[in-house]
Amino acid sequence: MSRSSWLVVIFLTISLISFPPHWYPYSLRVTLTDWIGVPEYRALPVSIPPAPLDAEKFCPEDLHLWRQKLIIDGVEVRAETTCVADNPYLVAAAVKGTNNVSHGTLQASGFTNDAITKGEDLDGDGDPDEIHIRLEVVELNGGSNVVTSPATQYSIAPGIFPSLWVFAPKLGGMAVENFESQKARLGLRLPAPAIRVEQGDRVIITLENTHYMPHTLHLHGADHQFLDSTGEGNDGVPITSEKPVLPGFSRSYELTPRQSGTMFYHCHVQTHVHAMMGLQGLFIVEPNKPNNWLQTLNLGAGLVRAPSVASKEQYDHEYDIHYQDLDSDLVRRVRDSNDPRLITKSMHRDYDITDATADYFLLNGRSFPYTFRESLVVGEDGDRIKLRVVNGGMKAIALHTHGHKFTVTHRDGVAIPKPLRHPQDVVALATSQRVDVVIEMKNDGLHSYGPGIWPFHDHQYQGITTDGIGPGGNISAIVYEQYLGEDGWPKTNGVAFDRYFSAAFYRKEIPVWETYGANFFSDTAVDGWLLGRILICLVSFLFALIFFSAKVRSRFKKNRFE
Amino acid sequence: MYSPWYASVFFKLPVQIFIGLLVCGNVFAQVQHMNHQGMNMKVTASGFVMNNNVDNLPAGCSEISEDVELRVRAGHKFAVEPGQVFAMDKPVVRVPGCSRLTVVFENTDGIRHQWMVHGLPKYLYQGGMFHIESNANRTVRGTFIVPPEDKSYLVHCDMTQHMEKGMRGMLVVGDGSGRIWSIPGETDYFYRASYLPKHIDLGLGLGLVVLCLLGAVYFVLKLFRWKNPIT
Repeated sequence: MSRSSWLVVIFLTISLISFPPHWYPYSLRVTLTDWIGVPEYRALPVSIPPAPLDAEKFCPEDLHLWRQKLIIDGVEVRAETTCVADNPYLVAAAVKGTNNVSHGTLQASGFTNDAITKGEDLDGDGDPDEIHIRLEVVELNGGSNVVTSPATQYSIAPGIFPSLWVFAPKLGGMAVENFESQKARLGLRLPAPAIRVEQGDRVIITLENTHYMPHTLHLHGADHQFLDSTGEGNDGVPITSEKPVLPGFSRSYELTPRQSGTMFYHCHVQTHVHAMMGLQGLFIVEPNKPNNWLQTLNLGAGLVRAPSVASKEQYDHEYDIHYQDLDSDLVRRVRDSNDPRLITKSMHRDYDITDATADYFLLNGRSFPYTFRESLVVGEDGDRIKLRVVNGGMKAIALHTHGHKFTVTHRDGVAIPKPLRHPQDVVALATSQRVDVVIEMKNDGLHSYGPGIWPFHDHQYQGITTDGIGPGGNISAIVYEQYLGEDGWPKTNGVAFDRYFSAAFYRKEIPVWETYGANFFSDTAVDGWLLGRILICLVSFLFALIFFSAKVRSRFKKNRFE
Repeated sequence: MYSPWYASVFFKLPVQIFIGLLVCGNVFAQVQHMNHQGMNMKVTASGFVMNNNVDNLPAGCSEISEDVELRVRAGHKFAVEPGQVFAMDKPVVRVPGCSRLTVVFENTDGIRHQWMVHGLPKYLYQGGMFHIESNANRTVRGTFIVPPEDKSYLVHCDMTQHMEKGMRGMLVVGDGSGRIWSIPGETDYFYRASYLPKHIDLGLGLGLVVLCLLGAVYFVLKLFRWKNPIT
């Protein structure tokens, strides 16, 4: 045998021997066990020690002293006990109207002077009945032709920046927090503000289309005429009532609602895309009462800090609860390019909602754990709490409360007859459906099981995840005041929240149970022994091939020359 | 992504004092020139001007070199470049150093627009910016004095996506300090899509991959021919 033949044989043998024995066929393994017995113990790869977490602060400091109860321009703004509270000056300006508040309050609110104007008291009952609201269209986490990071950043959970469109109140000045930040200013957020008007009010909502795509405003479920006073379409539907509002233009929608109830508003242009990008909000019509100064806009929904007369008569607190879901395939598209023509094509023709799945699940514009900062429902023993709930997502919601059985009082803004009302702990909400819910914190084993921190969430299991990572999604909690810390963070008994406040957790990089079972549930190291054997096996096989081919070739050449 | 550590030092104290004053006596209620987050701000029904400056000379200027008045019109109707939605009719403005620039910012749209300069000296202009906001179909005048140095400043509208979709320009003082990317009609886009038909885009990609593979195979073959231990 020649030298090259020997080499081929040697390398083939090495290759065979180094082939991982665990991958031999079963029968061969049994035979080998008979021949040479069972090999020595070889430990499984070790656990990787936990990586240090780069957690955000759970409960940001209340720098502006916004959480406490305040009286601003004669408006009583109730305390908001959660960590992150709404700007109380904004609440006061929304109650009085931006044309009626002091200049200082207006400045502190950030509103432009025409954001919400309130006019005459038409029925003489002590509150204004002419309401003019102006809304703009804002893009969060948008595209750019100079940077790759999102423009005007708004995170729904640590490290998650989906591109969003939203109806926003008119806030003067820059869209970012300050001149050195890329973070969206407070007030530019999801969901679109909950709008509150009184039954019989003459309401004008002007949509100022500051966005680069056409939009409309459709008042879903609220009593409005098909045509407005000038004979223009008033329903917001391009196929039946009017042409969309183009970029740079504005349009006013009029209504004088005759019925009260929890309604909805959304963009009706390419609704399957535009409403799913975030152009949707709660529209609430309150019963007409004397001296009923309403908080016309509730930014980011949540606690109503200046509730209506009707609400104060019956309930201790009122919350606006807006559920949404987002498809990660849709909410990345505005950043794929910066050209509106390409974006339009990508979103309205390439994107196919019939192939879509929802990935992010929001409660009032955020996912867990941010919901624990600003969307807790807080009360104390004996309180009656009203929730106005809408499901704006494409997926249905099975709203479930721990520790409580709530009662649905209204469905789609219409009261359910009293004999038909009953306590329940799951209620299903189809897309765009609303329910008014009363939670009675009455410790009787039916309405409440007593004080605590009781989660409430969508019980369809996708909803409690963020792109499949749990806990995430729309989880929040009903918290009794004694379980809330000074800073507004709930005094939980369970696991540490560091992981949930780390972007790496939602990037799927952190083992779920590591903090309380480090060695049992950690990530595993690589099996270097196996990897080494595979490498040796492949490399020696390659060498065997090379020498074999060289031999064949040299023989071929010899034949040619002979 | 998040505010730097010193932001709390800068913002916490003034904001608390500001809010404290509001709550106590509402002393600012009648004042037109507001100190909003430390900004000098002139508010009218047509909009506002932030950091208006008619007489404070920047360091290095002994006098005002020239009075320049410029009408800048903004709106969708000036969007003439492909892919532009909002625009200013004069994206590029050239002025000499130490000149006093009065911008008459005319908004022809039914929505708000802004004309905003960044990077001005912070000892004179809070936040280093000069900012005009005009309400729908309104015109607002604002004046500021530019520093003596040759520099190119970014001018834009800070409504979300207005800069990205066309309202991006530059203010060139003196000879400027180079050109700024992505100004429609003036400088190239820093990032741009390929604008090739989808199948060509895909074909080019696949073609490149195939070429690379062929190259690799050729190289490996050559390598072993040179080092063939037998022949």
